[in-house]
Amino acid sequence: MNEMSSVPHFPQQPPPLPASSVIADFSGDRGDFFRLVRNGTGLELITFGFYRFWLATDIRRYLWSHTSLDGDAPEYTGRGRELLIGFLFALAILLPIYLAYFLVGIEAERYKAFASFPLFLFFYLFGQFAIYRARRYRLTRTVWRGVRFWMDGSGWAYAMRAAGWTLLTGLTLGAVLPWREAALERYKMRHCYYGDLQGSFEGRGSELFQRGWKLWLAALSPVIVGLALFVMNAGHRLSTAQSRVFGLVILIWLIAMPFIYGYFKAIEWHWWISGIRFGEVSFESDLASNRLYGLYWKVIGWFLLVSVLFTAYIFACVGLIAGFGNAANIAARIQGNIGMTAAIFAGYLGLLLAMNIVLRIYLLRDVWARVAASATAFRLEAAANVAAKGELADALGEGFANGLDVVGF
Amino acid sequence: MADRGPETIPAGPQPEGASIFYDGTSSRRHQVQLALKDGLEIIENGTTLATWPFADIRRADGVAGILRLSCVTAPSLARLEVRDSALGAVLISRCPHLNDNAVGRRGVATIVGWSVAATVSIVAVIWFGLPLAADRLAPLVPSALERRIGDAAEGQMGAMFGGKTCSSAVGSLAFNKLMKKISTAAGFDTPVRATVLNTPVPNAFALPGGKVYLFNGLLARANDPDEIAGVLAHELGHVSHRDNTRNMIYSGGTSFLIGLLFGDVTGSGALIFASRSLFTASYSREAEQNADNFSIEVMHQLGRPTKPMGDLIFRVTGNQGDNTLSILANHPLTEDRLKHLSDENRPASGPPLLSELEWTSLKAICKSGS
Repeated sequence: MNEMSSVPHFPQQPPPLPASSVIADFSGDRGDFFRLVRNGTGLELITFGFYRFWLATDIRRYLWSHTSLDGDAPEYTGRGRELLIGFLFALAILLPIYLAYFLVGIEAERYKAFASFPLFLFFYLFGQFAIYRARRYRLTRTVWRGVRFWMDGSGWAYAMRAAGWTLLTGLTLGAVLPWREAALERYKMRHCYYGDLQGSFEGRGSELFQRGWKLWLAALSPVIVGLALFVMNAGHRLSTAQSRVFGLVILIWLIAMPFIYGYFKAIEWHWWISGIRFGEVSFESDLASNRLYGLYWKVIGWFLLVSVLFTAYIFACVGLIAGFGNAANIAARIQGNIGMTAAIFAGYLGLLLAMNIVLRIYLLRDVWARVAASATAFRLEAAANVAAKGELADALGEGFANGLDVVGF
Repeated sequence: MADRGPETIPAGPQPEGASIFYDGTSSRRHQVQLALKDGLEIIENGTTLATWPFADIRRADGVAGILRLSCVTAPSLARLEVRDSALGAVLISRCPHLNDNAVGRRGVATIVGWSVAATVSIVAVIWFGLPLAADRLAPLVPSALERRIGDAAEGQMGAMFGGKTCSSAVGSLAFNKLMKKISTAAGFDTPVRATVLNTPVPNAFALPGGKVYLFNGLLARANDPDEIAGVLAHELGHVSHRDNTRNMIYSGGTSFLIGLLFGDVTGSGALIFASRSLFTASYSREAEQNADNFSIEVMHQLGRPTKPMGDLIFRVTGNQGDNTLSILANHPLTEDRLKHLSDENRPASGPPLLSELEWTSLKAICKSGS
């Protein structure tokens, strides 16, 4: 057996790996996180959203400091103020770009109606640039054992690659997605450093494809069935029975989607962690593929519950303000009623804040806890005497990501 | 702790791994002894690696149960991890500025205070500053640019409404005559470009760059030329005030500033949309009022009554007296406008704008073959 064994799922199995393995641990208390996010979300409301920079910082500090490797937790040294400044700078840069975008758009529209659409490509590039630079900021604010991580490389070079791969992914209906992930991660990781220890990524697209292709087909099943029916009918209209079959496929697909996505994310995390290298140090994950989908279902459950509560609240408000009875009468009384508008707005804010808390608990903390606790590091002694190196990066990328509403890392 | 004499707290039998030091230049783990003298001495096998003044020591994030410290006068990443809780407690009592780095209650209050101040100033800029800026900047926008924007909008409109313009020969003749009269009375050197569009939507508007569109839906519901003339004069008011350009500057600025608050510059999202429409509604209400006044003046100039225009709008929009949220209304309340237009009404003193025959052919401008 060789260490590049084709089934690297369980790190305990292959004996050739050196005995020095260290299991990562996550020790964060869920209640603490809930209080942190609840208070932070409340402050976000009071500060008209400005507190988001400090909340993001607090969340990262919580996640970093409760994840430990060999008894030592990394430390997040970023500050909310840096994110605010990064955001303001990003706005200052985005303003003239939006103006230019507007003017170019006019010229394109003049040439042909709705021709300005391809300009979105430009903003896609900008978003990818932001993702790269945001990772760079977070990495340079991560300190483990008195030495910081850092990153070089070019955000624009990355953005060009990402755009090219995304185009390919779109053309192949997602078939090349694993190779896209691998190529982009290789670029990012080979520009990552821990002190003078260079990172790299050894995950292969083919591995991810092998593990995920069934999920890919399942996600595309409505398209496949639709095409099959179309070909069978040679372009004629569907019969009633066929439409029913098609409807059933879509229904099953909708129910299956959270499972498909949850399985895919688990497989992807597993693959990602297992591909990370820093010099001689390597990582493995034993995250089971069924570890994450439950979290997505919980979020859906909470969303339904909160929506039902919101609807009940709206009905209660209507009842209190306009009374019950004739629907047309009520509609006339509600329209333009300031109290009603305020009540709906308050309810909507409540819904938004509640969902924000739910999303952060399940999709941020819980996913992080499960993924982090699944990791094992090998030959960690190779990082025992790493010389400090690398400069702090600015938070401009985070600002762009915030300004353009892109997510990624 | 009155006596501050030299003391070496864990005088020897320190538990294994009790304190660990990282010097900030490498990730090497130093097992160290700590001595609390004038400052905190960090000692490895008898050699002092560093001495940290108590006042410079700060707490850093770490795993629960381990006191992790940094020092502002040491390399910024140097860290000391104290795993013995008794020793940790002594150290905590010695370091007066231990928690200075933490945001704390006062820090949060500062953030809240500044955020509220920033919000107030952003709202003030939107409320007072942007209308002023739009007024001052709009005349500076070259009319060639305005015209290009208008052409772009025209392309989209053509796509939206099928782009069927109406131009029956006699109808166009009457329409052009009407436009020429109104344009002259409004003080335009050349007649404003105008087109009738074949769509059942009852509406009329002016594009940037000064092209006026009249929808056949409105024409169909008009009873006499004065009604249509009032509406067209109202649209010329928008052209003359450059309301499109001002509106663009204003709503662009509003989107941007509200995006500043909520963090999305593109201006999507329900919250942003809601607060933005609150601001722009009151702004465009003012523009509508000004355009109405312009129309009244033009109609006076022509010696024609102003009330018919109000009647037409009322016929189209119906009674909106009390069922629209007035602060959100894009147009002034129809009853208010109606009242204003009838208050300013003067009996006809000039000749009719169009003859009966011309009016009939204008109404039929979208009928092909005539």
